[in-house]
Amino acid sequence: MTAATPSVARPRMRMIPWRAPVAVVAALVISYLVIANAAGAQAQEQFINALTIGALYALIALGYTMVYGIIELINFAHGEIFMCGSFVAWWLITTMGFTGTIHDLPILVIVLVVVFLVSMLVMGVVGVIIERFAYRRLRNAPRLAPLITAIGVSFILQNLVFVGISNSIVKVPQLIPFDLLQIGPLAIREINLFVIVFAVALMIALQLFITRTRLGTAMRSTAMDREAAQLMGVNINSTIAITFFIGSALAGAAGVVQTQYLGNTVFNIGFQSGLKAFTAAVLGGIGNTTGAAVGGFVIGFLEVTSSVYGIGRWSEAIVFGALVVVLIFRPNGILGQQLADRA
Amino acid sequence: MNLRNLGALAGTVILVAGACSSGAASPTATAVTPVVTPTPAASAPAASAPAAGIAVKIGIELPMTGGEAPNGVPTANGVALALSKIQVPGFTITIEQEDDALNGTHDPPTGAANMQKLANDPSVLFVVGPYNSSVAQAEIPVSNAAGLMQCSPANTNPGLTQTWGGVDPKTLRPTNPDKIAYVRVATTDDLQGAAGADIAYNVAGKKSAYVADDTETYGKGIADVFATNFTKLGGTVVKRDGIPDKTTDFTSYVTALKGLNADYVYYGGVTTSGLGIFRSQMASQQLATIPFGGGDGIVDGSAATASSFLNVAGADGDANTYGTVAGPHDIPNAAQFTSDYKAMFSADPGAYSAAAYACTQVFLQALKAVGTGVTDMAALREAVRAYVATPANSYDSALGTFSFDANGDTSQKIVSYYAFDATTKAWKFLSQRDFTANPVQ
Amino acid sequence: MSGARQLTRLLDRPRAFLRLHQSLTVIISAALVLTVLPYIATWYPFNGFGVQKDWVGGFADAGVFVLLAVGLNVVVGLAGLLDLGYAAFFAIGAYTYAYGASSFTGLHIPFWIMLVIGAAVAALFGLLLGAPTLRLRGDYLAIVTLGFGEIVPVVILNADAYTRGTNGITGLAQPDLYGLLGINGFGFTNPYLYFGTVVVIVAIAFIFLQRLQDSRIGRAWVAIREDELAAASMGINTVSTKLLAFAIGATTSGLAGVFYASKLGVVSPDQFGFTVSFTVLAMVVLGGMGNIWGVAAGAFVIFEIQHQGLKQLGAFIQGLNVPVVTLGPLKIDIGSINFINYQYLLYGLALVTMMLLRPEGLFPSRRRRLELHEDTDEVAELLADEMLEP
Repeated sequence: MTAATPSVARPRMRMIPWRAPVAVVAALVISYLVIANAAGAQAQEQFINALTIGALYALIALGYTMVYGIIELINFAHGEIFMCGSFVAWWLITTMGFTGTIHDLPILVIVLVVVFLVSMLVMGVVGVIIERFAYRRLRNAPRLAPLITAIGVSFILQNLVFVGISNSIVKVPQLIPFDLLQIGPLAIREINLFVIVFAVALMIALQLFITRTRLGTAMRSTAMDREAAQLMGVNINSTIAITFFIGSALAGAAGVVQTQYLGNTVFNIGFQSGLKAFTAAVLGGIGNTTGAAVGGFVIGFLEVTSSVYGIGRWSEAIVFGALVVVLIFRPNGILGQQLADRA
Repeated sequence: MNLRNLGALAGTVILVAGACSSGAASPTATAVTPVVTPTPAASAPAASAPAAGIAVKIGIELPMTGGEAPNGVPTANGVALALSKIQVPGFTITIEQEDDALNGTHDPPTGAANMQKLANDPSVLFVVGPYNSSVAQAEIPVSNAAGLMQCSPANTNPGLTQTWGGVDPKTLRPTNPDKIAYVRVATTDDLQGAAGADIAYNVAGKKSAYVADDTETYGKGIADVFATNFTKLGGTVVKRDGIPDKTTDFTSYVTALKGLNADYVYYGGVTTSGLGIFRSQMASQQLATIPFGGGDGIVDGSAATASSFLNVAGADGDANTYGTVAGPHDIPNAAQFTSDYKAMFSADPGAYSAAAYACTQVFLQALKAVGTGVTDMAALREAVRAYVATPANSYDSALGTFSFDANGDTSQKIVSYYAFDATTKAWKFLSQRDFTANPVQ
Repeated sequence: MSGARQLTRLLDRPRAFLRLHQSLTVIISAALVLTVLPYIATWYPFNGFGVQKDWVGGFADAGVFVLLAVGLNVVVGLAGLLDLGYAAFFAIGAYTYAYGASSFTGLHIPFWIMLVIGAAVAALFGLLLGAPTLRLRGDYLAIVTLGFGEIVPVVILNADAYTRGTNGITGLAQPDLYGLLGINGFGFTNPYLYFGTVVVIVAIAFIFLQRLQDSRIGRAWVAIREDELAAASMGINTVSTKLLAFAIGATTSGLAGVFYASKLGVVSPDQFGFTVSFTVLAMVVLGGMGNIWGVAAGAFVIFEIQHQGLKQLGAFIQGLNVPVVTLGPLKIDIGSINFINYQYLLYGLALVTMMLLRPEGLFPSRRRRLELHEDTDEVAELLADEMLEP
């Protein structure tokens, strides 16, 4: 789904334009300056807040964009998978008996690995099951039919948690310390550092997977032209299932990040976060994994900026307003749509 | 799999939502609100009086499903409890139950349709509800046109009965502008905002406050009144923020606090809008030393109660916290009420169970007074309405003695002050202030 | 099979007649709905859920959603533009009425004039939103409309000075016939007047939309939906044609908003969220996109499922007195299940099941049925049907 033109075998890695790093640095500097203009002494801290929440949105947006890229479905149930992932984390952490920060590094690492792996695995499987039963049969149906089942599935997941677990905010113990680290001139809390590094690492891994492996190639070719890929020997069903697995696993990881960074979860966070993540995916250029990441950071930045400027009341209008404006001037998102054009 | 177990699991959680204030059940008892059956409609042994009297109905119009079930169900139970305790000779009273929740949240058009339905049934003489002020706005025109008296246990938006924001409440009663068919036993938001300012300035002794709201009717209402009154007392509002109620990440708002030199935070809203999360994120950023104040939207149980404000705010976050409840702390026979409720529903009463009980007592007293010998339902409905709308009548109720003024507001204008108590990890009663003598405006 | 075929043959003549006289069909149907529906409500099991007056009030509310659905059908079903923020125009219609007929502005313009004004204002917003965004393709348009649908309630919520913010605008006037037919103000207690009004409004919208659908413009919409490039090369101005579809959809939504606000008497920002947009979309898709009759039926069915079916399910099942079944250690007591907690779970299941069983909707348009069942022997017959069309 990141292939630019089908004629180039491995386009992404070779074609990174020299402009890309420059653009990233420029974007970071400009957004920092915009925040600093109003945040005063808290500029650095607010900038890190924006990066952290942006990383969370980016993780959810990746799943949206992958599913969209391969079957052109706005998977409204994706936000609920994120929510379920956070409940898996809550269940694991409380069952293991942890109630607060773990200061012993080896134990912390082990616990985090367990929580992330289990949550990602469980949600990945849930994603595959949903695809199998709610979407696969509708692959050749009118385009809106799977959209309605997606919303139906999101109702089901949300209400299963609501009826079975909790109908209100659930507090989740935060395992990672909030202590400030001083890295050169940069002061950053351990939790923020963890979230940003972890999310970026996942994104890079995903990028490598998509561009460097056979499965990744199968996914890209399926996204480009399903029939042609099938003729070339790609197993469409399993490729789509794998896409759902990876996308949902990323949402599961995002769910864990939510509980660790914000310390709580609730049965209805999926919808709102999912909506923002979807916006992020479109903002970046839907079907484009790099774009989804960029979109996630942009939305995090917009939210924090509106709060810093004292217009938090309007933050939703600002986020969606920015989306409308960007799409008017760049109809294919910031980085452009990178899947085969099938209108 | 026994499906009822799932329901019971969900039932152990509490949530106070919507535009409302706590009634008068003592706050520590407001803890657990069950979603579990029995719902009153199914189980109410209402008026099991053996002598078959005239069959009449009391309507209940509350959100009973979705995220708002914890608000509606215990409130409705209060009505059933009252009917089981008090009989009116000559009448057999049953419950007609309606639910105004749609897709999990209260829905004004559904409320209006329910009110129509209750009005269409001539044997319905009185309605307890609604829970949310926005639903009340859609129902008051209907009950007014039908001449059916409704008593809300939980509505606190001043505009429903008084001129508020320059709007005359008569616009809600286009059919009969001078006829009151809506009364309420909860105290209005303006008193709570004023009480919050009183706490911040006089009890906590703070002079500069950061004021936020969750952009909902209730939260914005009390935060606005807080800001006005805090300034009037001599304090400074350093920043006035609105934080959308769906927000989950408050870190940037909390970080911004550091640059404001605020020594008090007042946040209008409810726990489900994220006030507890805000407080816990204050603690994460080492700002727990700044006191935090709110309305009864956060006085929803001790730290041991899952999903309550104190629970979500966490061990470090809950210190230095103040709350108010729009009602008297000392209610008559609180212990008796709680044990009766527990005996009937095997759960603790909700925040508005006692208020709904009081509403029912109002109806029963009116029926007793005007019901003798009347068999025409339309006449009886009007007689009940007229009795309740008369300010001279006073009621000896679960909330204490009160009457309704010409607008339909309760004469009880008492706000109770609470603070977090570190030893019990629960809200501790500080004092209560009567606003009858010195009204806010 | 052949029996069914004979039956279809038998019905060919009246069907052809009704197809030729579509407006007449609408008027006859409206008359039937007005007279028959209130009586059906008094049958078992419906009479257990309320008296006739309750049902008629509910039908009037359902009419609002029927109107919304047939309007969205033009945008989504005919022109193929996915609109996820349709509630925004609904809100704009409702607030226009609040401005025109309440003490908030002091204007007291009659309901009937406000219907036109509300529709016009909504259409204007439709054009304003559509003009810059309609060159976006497919799901980009969907997300822009979704954004618009989110922005409108936020603006209404926060622009207190102009909208009374979260408190909403109260005291909206009720429709009034000024003594015509002996009727003055509609008031709050007579649902029959609202029911009659909404049926008339829906019927007018139906006739208008059907004629549009069969006109040059309607064919242009379908052409764009099927293949925009081909349509453009046939000389269709795709931008203005799509813009028109958008504006027509917004107009219908605006009408619905005015009627809704006048019946409720109050508008507040929380009544127009994404839930409304989504519900209407589900009505269109489940009813059968592109088929105005199917969409109307789908809207009615979903509305009644949500407002009556799911709410009364528990009471209904308890009323059936299902005996407790004991299967070894498992005790199944259906009567004791508290269905109220499960209604949204059931709603989700219903959506998924209905969509899986009938992906083309309950009453698909003939064209769509053709697309989806090319291999069945129905095709010949359907093709013959197509030929019959004028």
